[in-house]
Amino acid sequence: MRNKSRHSDIIPALIFLLPGLILFALFFLGPMAYSLRISFFEWKIVHPERSIFVGFENYQRALSDPIFQRAVLNTLAYTVITVVVKMILGLSVALLLNQQLPGRTFFRVAYYLPVITSWVIVSLLFEYMFNGQAGLVNYVLKDFLHLIPKDILWFADEYLTLVPIILLDIWKGIGWAAIIFLAGLQSIPAELYEAARVDGADSITQLRYITWPLLGPTTVFLVVVLVIGGLNAYVPFQLMTNGGDPLDLTHSVLTLMYEATFGRLDFGYGAAISYLLTGFVFFISLIELRLMRQRAD
Amino acid sequence: MKSNRIAILIFSLIIITATILAACAPAATPTESATVAVTEAPVVATEAPTEAPVVEPVTLQYWHTHSDAEAAQLDQVIAAFEAANPGVTVESTRYAYSDYKTALLTAISSGAVPDAARLDIAWVSEFADQGALSQLDGNLPNFEAIIADTFPGPLSTNVWQDHYYGMPLDTNTQVLLWNKSVFEAAGLTAAPTTMEEFAAVACQLTDAAKKTYGYAEGGTYFWAPAPVFYAMGGKVTDEKITTATGYVNGADSVAAFTMLKDLYDQGCLSPNLLGGGIATDAGHAEGTYAMIIDGPWMVDIYKGNYPDFEVNFAPVPTGPQGTTSSVVGGEDVVVLADSQNQEAAMKWSAYLLSPDAQKMMAAVGQMPTLASLVGDSAMPAYFAVFQEQLKTAQARVPHPKWSDMDNAINNAYQRMLKGDQTPQEALDQAATEIDALLGK
Repeated sequence: MRNKSRHSDIIPALIFLLPGLILFALFFLGPMAYSLRISFFEWKIVHPERSIFVGFENYQRALSDPIFQRAVLNTLAYTVITVVVKMILGLSVALLLNQQLPGRTFFRVAYYLPVITSWVIVSLLFEYMFNGQAGLVNYVLKDFLHLIPKDILWFADEYLTLVPIILLDIWKGIGWAAIIFLAGLQSIPAELYEAARVDGADSITQLRYITWPLLGPTTVFLVVVLVIGGLNAYVPFQLMTNGGDPLDLTHSVLTLMYEATFGRLDFGYGAAISYLLTGFVFFISLIELRLMRQRAD
Repeated sequence: MKSNRIAILIFSLIIITATILAACAPAATPTESATVAVTEAPVVATEAPTEAPVVEPVTLQYWHTHSDAEAAQLDQVIAAFEAANPGVTVESTRYAYSDYKTALLTAISSGAVPDAARLDIAWVSEFADQGALSQLDGNLPNFEAIIADTFPGPLSTNVWQDHYYGMPLDTNTQVLLWNKSVFEAAGLTAAPTTMEEFAAVACQLTDAAKKTYGYAEGGTYFWAPAPVFYAMGGKVTDEKITTATGYVNGADSVAAFTMLKDLYDQGCLSPNLLGGGIATDAGHAEGTYAMIIDGPWMVDIYKGNYPDFEVNFAPVPTGPQGTTSSVVGGEDVVVLADSQNQEAAMKWSAYLLSPDAQKMMAAVGQMPTLASLVGDSAMPAYFAVFQEQLKTAQARVPHPKWSDMDNAINNAYQRMLKGDQTPQEALDQAATEIDALLGK
């Protein structure tokens, strides 16, 4: 009897899900399977039937390509730095915004504003600010603070290029991390803090023993989503490095994938890169979830 | 409880049915109107008073990346073509240059291609190699006569494996732009004519304190140093495109890059070419860069942004052999292999190369590819220096792997500017990389 009723629940559920599932299969699973196939070929876009099967050659090529290795390093460095900084600053902002401050709504909006700005527009804006000959940043550093002897060509150096890219992502991402943390903070019962205060706990102790543990699920969610977002970085890299300048040393994995696919028409190679990235993201997310489950519990 | 579930089931079935019906509805409408159109068409044709053969109406899709002014002028060209060819309609679609290749590739892979398209000359062999373009020799009526009047440099960009896959639509090259007021302030009255003079003037007009430079290039991609490279006698590969060794790292090529590298080290070549600096067009007009090398479109750019700036062109200075040269740019018109309207698309392509169409587009800065139009009164006066320069300008290597070759030279240029390698070492490495691309 019980089984039967469960069964009769499934049918309406399936019927409701079906349109979504069909669309998902058509526009996500289908293309994904197709590009997996492409990744094993030297793919001819116009005459797919003339494509040459090369097995895992595209994958081997990517793994042994110094430009790909560099792109992976850039992407990892970018992800680690931006995720850590965004988490710390996001939590700080959330704690501040959780206080009874005058103009609290204004600050909440102000911190969230960068999140909804267009990636393209702010990328170009940062590019202007970091202009090597006429940029605001050089002016402040050299002519105002006298910290540097001569103008820095930010975008001519493979390491310095990452500075504006990372700063942009942090500036743009704090607000989102803060809003998620804020939601988590507000779900913590006020009674816990009251009880802690009665017991004589100061605010640092409260943060350590109440806020931080109870934010567990929020932190897990943020880390997973931010890491996936970081590994998929594309727009700021593409716009600020013109796709890898200088010397193809500043690619992210996705800008390299784009260049291989649409710049050099090397579709098999591009597909292999995107599958390597997908596999890596999947793997990392599994580890994160496992590690963080302990924390969440 | 149970009746509740049944209600949910019925409700969900209704939603599904509604969704499916809604999805079908739009598909049904076009089919109906199409049937109507088909049945009506012959009636109109039979009522026509003349006994001319019934021409199937054809609508051609033409893709391009023209600017605002050029696109408006293209509409006039289309109107003239349609008037001369009743039954043929041309619908033009404009793309941003940066999205264009992706859009074309998507269209080609899905089979929904435009009938004809205007392509960057550096792309034709690449697309031809993919099998995306129609061969024009032997298929386009009167092909030999049409191309006989075109400049050989632009024409050569359409050849892939001994056949033509496009026709030169517009052409351009780069010449020297010199800022007269900066020159006159330093007591100079004319642009340098030899590379030796050029290097000396570039340093004379550099003022480190004011952060002004004698010469600036827009980047390190091959197009930027190419005029100096070719004028100094540089070569990327041999004529038959079989090897780069001894060419891109030959004595003349190395000398060209050594001159640029020396100018950079002396601070006479602006560091903006490594990225993230002041753009060459704005910098030149504002006097930050006394000299740049650029194309005929600069006239229209300055007209919009710096209306008071006096643009001065001069030929690219001559190299040690006493000859000038530059790099050929421009666009070709191609017919897509998957087009269902081959005949009409070829007719349209041929029309774009007619003197009438070429003159109309010249009015908005598109330089004609027809030799017979040189000196024509319809041409803007500033075309003269570019047409003279085109006589010696060279095309980049017409090869499907050109993008990769460009990248190899670009990287070599960056390595030498940063001091990682000498020009000889950097170009030796580029030669090895290009040879690998050529299948050596």
